[in-house]
Amino acid sequence: MSFITDALILGIIQAAPLVLAAVGFTLIFYLNGFINVAYSETITVGAYFAIVFNSMLRLNFYLAIIPSALLSGVISVVTYLVVFRPAFRRGVESTEMIILSVGLSFFLRYSLRLIFGSDLYSLDIVSPTSVRIFGVGITNIQLTALVLVAVISVALYLFIYRTNYGEMMRGLANNEVLAMVSGINPVRVSVLIWFIAGVAGGLAGLFYGVFSFVSTLLGWKLILIVIMVTIVGGIGQVRGALIASIGAGIITAAVTLLTKPLYGEVILLLTFIGVLRLKKSRR
Amino acid sequence: MVQFLSGYVMYTFSSIVVYIALATLLHLQFGVTGIVNFGVVGFFGLGMYAFGVFLIQYHIPYIIAMLLATVLTGVVALGLGRVILQLDSQSILVATLAIATVVEDLATSEKWLTKGVIGLGTVPFPFDLGPYSQVAYFLLALVLTILIVIYAYRVESSPYGRLLLSIRDNEPLAQSLGKSTSRQKLFFFAITSALMGLFGTLHASNVHFLVPRMVSPGVTFTVWIALILGGRKKVLGGLIGTLATIGLFDFVIETFVPIPASAQSQLMPVIKLWIYGLALMLVLMYRPSGILGEKKL
Amino acid sequence: MAEKKIHIKNVAKSFGGRTVVNIADLTLGTHGIEGLIGPNGAGKTTLMNLITHRLKMDHGQVVYYPNGEELDITSRSMDEIARLGIVKTNQIIQDFESLSITDSLLLSLSTTKYEQFYRIFSEGRLRDETKEQIAAYLDYFRFTDPNGHALSAGEKKLLDIIRCLALKPKFLLMDEPTAGLPEDQTIKVMDLMKRKTKEEGMSILIVEHDLDLIWNVSELVYFMAEGEILIQGTPEEIRKDRTVAVKYMGVSYV
Repeated sequence: MSFITDALILGIIQAAPLVLAAVGFTLIFYLNGFINVAYSETITVGAYFAIVFNSMLRLNFYLAIIPSALLSGVISVVTYLVVFRPAFRRGVESTEMIILSVGLSFFLRYSLRLIFGSDLYSLDIVSPTSVRIFGVGITNIQLTALVLVAVISVALYLFIYRTNYGEMMRGLANNEVLAMVSGINPVRVSVLIWFIAGVAGGLAGLFYGVFSFVSTLLGWKLILIVIMVTIVGGIGQVRGALIASIGAGIITAAVTLLTKPLYGEVILLLTFIGVLRLKKSRR
Repeated sequence: MVQFLSGYVMYTFSSIVVYIALATLLHLQFGVTGIVNFGVVGFFGLGMYAFGVFLIQYHIPYIIAMLLATVLTGVVALGLGRVILQLDSQSILVATLAIATVVEDLATSEKWLTKGVIGLGTVPFPFDLGPYSQVAYFLLALVLTILIVIYAYRVESSPYGRLLLSIRDNEPLAQSLGKSTSRQKLFFFAITSALMGLFGTLHASNVHFLVPRMVSPGVTFTVWIALILGGRKKVLGGLIGTLATIGLFDFVIETFVPIPASAQSQLMPVIKLWIYGLALMLVLMYRPSGILGEKKL
Repeated sequence: MAEKKIHIKNVAKSFGGRTVVNIADLTLGTHGIEGLIGPNGAGKTTLMNLITHRLKMDHGQVVYYPNGEELDITSRSMDEIARLGIVKTNQIIQDFESLSITDSLLLSLSTTKYEQFYRIFSEGRLRDETKEQIAAYLDYFRFTDPNGHALSAGEKKLLDIIRCLALKPKFLLMDEPTAGLPEDQTIKVMDLMKRKTKEEGMSILIVEHDLDLIWNVSELVYFMAEGEILIQGTPEEIRKDRTVAVKYMGVSYV
């Protein structure tokens, strides 16, 4: 019994940052129709901004969250305006766009390496207080992460399905020409979406950085599972991303408790392939 | 002269030649057949490590270990291909990338098998010719790579090559003409991936000491940038691209540009991949067909 | 010569709740060249795609009778069905971007024998074997640049048809073959079809909106609307039929 609760709770906690990343990622995927591997660096950059504000500028961790998240959003918008939008306009197709995003990912990651080096950084937090839920210790940081995830997920869901901007985004994603004809400004809506996705990614990176440590590989190590979780959950589906992330978190936690993380990877990969094939045959 | 033949330069040439082979095999997979294999290092590394494990941990004779490792890689590719090749390109990209990650993590965590980050060694040259072993090895690798390039050249002007091109261009149309595209694609994928494993075994004999870092995504990425830069649809695309990237950095710059040694080992690998990332973006945006390609992709 | 027949039993296909094809019992191929007409959206192309298994049917069975054999092709793959002799031309233009006209024909004419990864020296032999056939096709249908690519939409349509013919199908499904073709090429195609039916016993089913062509070449015509075959008969019978007139041609045509 305790194994199951351990796995469940640990899984949900670990899934919290993943949900943030997946939700941001799925928005871009839905809007632009390609896998943006460089999103991994949006995640990493969030953690590094937190380092700058928290460890270097001595800002309180919780206060550091705000500028870090916002700046991550800005970086995300910059990648869109400087790289992806011009690439679209030059007619780069979706398979090539992914390869291009891999190039951007390497470029950004090694830029961070040049700036920050290969050292590991830690975020400066006052000794975390702990709470025990069902026998599992959860720190107040982890609780903050969970709360933020819940708030942001709900907010995004409402945004996409209940607001004008959300409707415009969906219109744009479905048919750009039609959307433009209806008066939707594609650049403005896109910039907003990329900003939101960037904020979500930056927050994810920030929390991952707190849960362990910060290195230039932080986002890169995650991007694969973010992609898989997004595809499994359904492109553009906030709920799907949520469920798939939690599922992935629980599977990983359960496997890690039993054996080694390597098998967890293999299981996730097999699940990913399995779900894709199922979706294909049902069509 | 003996120093040159046995020294670092010959070692670098040998590595370059192996990368040319990988890039050409990727050209066959992606440029000709349209398979987006982002797990190049997975098959390369599997062959490399399997060979090392068979040779060192299980004392299997050299040639047999090589063959076993190659066959193993082919079998894994066959199994993987069976489940993923029917999916869309994006999914194939993600799945192959995931497999490569699994291979790297396998190499790192299964210490009882691969010695993990401590390293697996020592893998000797295929033959012992004293100081001339390195240059003899280089010639061996060169001959094998040339064979791969010749094969690629001949395949593309053969009925089989035409079939592969038709699969890349319009698979459903090829199927409607009676071509068993699934089977052909799978088989070709398995064979070319097995060959990537073969060059992995070769590479093991060059580096002599295997560490997981050698099977990191950077390898796949380097092969891809080489192919895209050189021209994905051209037989010599991989060759030109490899010379323009690895040839430039690992040989020309390293040998002729005066950089202090500390910077060399710390900074150069970072700058290299940084530039590769930039180059890949620029090529895909402004000249997607690569150096050798025609103006329009 | 035994005729080639396709028997369709209780086959249905729906898209998003809408029934696109619903056929209880239909046997195709009993009369050489047969025509399939009907308004847009009747399900004609879908029906053909169900036969070739480009689309999966919701339920039903398709049985193929080549030369007296009985083959259930319901679950066979698209390429297998093509190899068994059922080939469909494309309504919307499909092509291989990197293959020239001659290349396309060589592709059709090449067999599994040549398509092995180790056969890298067989191009010469394939070309020798197929030289006459290819020359015959290229002479009969004049292309602007036979060594290059199909240039106009019409040429691509023609190439599509010839690629299918080169496979020597037993049952050819033609999906609006003459749309986009100039008059003289249409006549050439139809003459060739008539010859093939007579000399090789090929069964042909043509979907067309050009009704004159249908009356001209078909021995039997099916009228399809809203997913069902409403009537079948000789061209004369179909022309005079009231339902067909109302549903398709506009009453004044008759």
